[in-house]
Amino acid sequence: MYDMNRVETDVTQDDIKIAARDVQVWYGEKHAIKDVNVDILDKTVTAFIGPSGCGKSTFLRCINRMNDTIPSAKIEGRITLDGDDIYDRRIDPVQLRARVGMVFQKPNPFPKSIFDNVAYGPRIHGLARNRAELDEIVEKALRGAALWNEVKDRLAEPGTGLSGGQQQRLCIARAVATAPEVLLMDEPCSALDPIATGQVEELIDQLRSEFSVVIVTHSMQQAARVSQKTAFFHLGNLVEYGDTDDIFTKPQDSRTEAYISGRIG
Amino acid sequence: MTGIAFAMLLTAALAGYMLNRRAALALRDGGQRLHSLGMFHGLYAALAVLVPAVIVTLLWVALQTPVINALVMAGLPAGSLDGADAGARQLVQAEIQSIAGGRVFGTPEAWKLEAAERLNALHATSGWLLLLAVAAVIAGALLVTRRSVAAQFRARQAVERIIMGLLIACSVVAIFVTVGIVLSLVFESIRFFQMVPITEFLFGTSWEPQIPIRADQIAAEGAFGWIPVLLGTLVITFVAIFIAVPVGLMSAIYLNEFASPRFRAIAKPVLEILAGIPTVVYGFFAILTVAPAIRAWGAALGIPVAPNTALAAGGVMAIMLIPFISSFADDALSAVPRSLRDGSMALGATRSETVLKVLFPAAIPGIVGGVLLAISRAIGETMIVVMAAGLIAKMTINPLDSVTTVTVQIVTLLIGDTAFDSPKTLAAFALGLMLFIVTLMINIVALRVVRKYRELYD
Repeated sequence: MYDMNRVETDVTQDDIKIAARDVQVWYGEKHAIKDVNVDILDKTVTAFIGPSGCGKSTFLRCINRMNDTIPSAKIEGRITLDGDDIYDRRIDPVQLRARVGMVFQKPNPFPKSIFDNVAYGPRIHGLARNRAELDEIVEKALRGAALWNEVKDRLAEPGTGLSGGQQQRLCIARAVATAPEVLLMDEPCSALDPIATGQVEELIDQLRSEFSVVIVTHSMQQAARVSQKTAFFHLGNLVEYGDTDDIFTKPQDSRTEAYISGRIG
Repeated sequence: MTGIAFAMLLTAALAGYMLNRRAALALRDGGQRLHSLGMFHGLYAALAVLVPAVIVTLLWVALQTPVINALVMAGLPAGSLDGADAGARQLVQAEIQSIAGGRVFGTPEAWKLEAAERLNALHATSGWLLLLAVAAVIAGALLVTRRSVAAQFRARQAVERIIMGLLIACSVVAIFVTVGIVLSLVFESIRFFQMVPITEFLFGTSWEPQIPIRADQIAAEGAFGWIPVLLGTLVITFVAIFIAVPVGLMSAIYLNEFASPRFRAIAKPVLEILAGIPTVVYGFFAILTVAPAIRAWGAALGIPVAPNTALAAGGVMAIMLIPFISSFADDALSAVPRSLRDGSMALGATRSETVLKVLFPAAIPGIVGGVLLAISRAIGETMIVVMAAGLIAKMTINPLDSVTTVTVQIVTLLIGDTAFDSPKTLAAFALGLMLFIVTLMINIVALRVVRKYRELYD
C-alpha cells in the first residue's frame, strides 16, 4: 500500500517520466532483477552502471517491453510512463515502443538505403502525410544525430556501407525519427572507437534537450561525462541512485564505493 | 581368382601393418626416439601394399577382356573372317563367347569351338597371371616398407600424403564422371545433328519423332522441332513454381516467425516427410486424385479439360517442391541476424511489419537462390510427368490442355525396340543435352546468387 501511495505522489510531479516500483524479473529460474525502485526524470540523461550481469540491460529492456520477445522472461511489479502502467493489458507494446525508442550495443542498420533506414519508423507509424514531410523528418532526424552533413549526398546508398560510428549515429537517427519521448541506449559506444564514442557522447548531451535518455554503460568515465543521474546495479539490486556527481564523489553504499574505485566488477 | 587375389591382399596389408608396427616399437623400446608413432609405420606399410595392388587388380580386370578377345580373334584360322564387316565380326565374337560360356546353339563350325576353348584357356591363364602380379606387388611393397622403418623415417607425413592422394582421387572421380556424362551426351547428339539439321531441331515447331521402319510403310516423315516439347516443360514448370513459391514462402514465414514452438516441432518434420516421398508416389496422386478432380471442376464450370492436364502434373510437382522452397526460405530467414529483428521491434514495428519490411528483404537473395534451384528441379523432374502429363507435343500454353515435356519424350523415345542409328533414338540424347544445358545455366545463376548472399552477413 505504501508503494502504491508513492506512485500516486510521484506522478503528480511533472518531471518524473518513468517510475518503477518493486520490479522483479525472472529468466526461467534465474532471478535477474530484484525489487528495483527508480524514478527517471524527463529531459535528463540517466546512466545505469554496474558490473557485467548485474541486470542493468535487463531492466532497460523492461522499460520498452523488449523482454516480451524472450519467452522465458517473467516480469512483476509496476513501471509507469507518464503515470500509465506500461504492463497494463490495455497498453499495446508496439505503440509503447514507438514512444520509448531504443539504440542497441552493436549498430544494426537495416540492409536498406540510409534514407529508408531513417524513414522506417515514420513510415510504419504514418507520421508523414507526403514525401515532402517524410524528407523533412528524415533530414531533421539525421541533423539531430549529427550525421546529416556526412550523408546528405548519399542518402540512397546502403546504411550498412557506413563506418561503425556513422552506423551507430544512423541507428540513433532512426530511433529519433519516430519522435519518441524516451530514448534507451544499451551500451551504445561499446563497439565504437574513441573518436566515434566522443561524437556519440556529444550527441547524447544534445538529445537531452528533447528526450529523457537512459544509457547503460560499462564505462564509469562515460557515465560521469554524459549523465546527470546515475543508478548503480549490483547482482540484480539497484544499490544506489542519485545525482551523478554525488555517486562518484560521495557514494553512500560501500558496494558503490568499491565499484567506482575498481575493487569489484 | 579375383576373390583369392583380394583375400591375399587384405592378409598382406594386415601383416604389413603388424610387422612394421612391431619393428617400430622395437626401435622405440631399444631406446631410440621415433619421429612417428608406431601406428603410422604400420599404416604406411598397409597402404603401400593396398593402394598399388588394388590399382593393378582393377586395371587388370578392366583390360583383360578386350585383350583376350583380340588374341582370340587374331588366332582364328586364316580365311574364316574373309569378307566380314565390323558387324559380322562382332557376331562371330559374341558366338564364340557364348560357346565358351557353355551355351551352344545348333552346330557351330569346328573353328569356332576351337576358338571358344582357347578363350577359356586364356581366361584361366589370365587369372593365374593376375594372382602372380598381385603377389609380386605385395612382396615388393612389404620388402620396401619393412626396410624403411627407422627412427628418422617420417611415416606420419608419408601416410598423410597417401591419404591426401586418396582424397584427391575421390573428388576427381565426381569431376570425371560428370565430364564422361557430358561427353556421351555430346557425341550422341552430334550423330543426331548429322541426320537432322541443328536449326530444325532448335527452331522447329513440330515434334513427331516417328520414322518409317520399312521403305514402303505409310507413316509420318518424322519431325524433330523441340519448341513444343520445351513449351510443355515450361508450362508445367511455370504452374509448379507459381503454386509452390507462394505456399512455400508463406509456410516458411509462418513457421519461422509466428508459429509456437510446439506447432513448429510438428510441422517441420511433416514437411520433411513430404520431401522424402518418392516421385512415383506423387505420380499416383496426380493421376488418381488431382487429374480427376480438375476434370470434375472443369465439367462443373463448363470448361473443356484434357485428361492429362499440365495443371495436374504441375500442381503435384508443386507439392513436391513446397518443402524444398520452404526449408530454403526458412534457412534464409533464420540467417538474418537477431539484431535486425530487435532493431525493428524496438522502433515499434509489429511482427508482420518486421517480417515484410526487414527480414524478407534481407533474406531475399537466399530465397531467390532456393527458387532457382527449385526451377531446375522442376524442369528435370521425370517420374511425375511421365505418369501425369501427356505424350503428344502441342504448341499451347493452356494449362488445362495436355502437354508433354522434354523428360517424358526422352523416356518414350528410349522405351521399347530401339536402334541406336535412327534419329528417333538419337533425338533423346539431343533433348537430354538441351535439358542439361538449361538446368546447368539455372544452377550457375542460383549458386552465384546464394554465394553473394553469404557474403552479406559474415
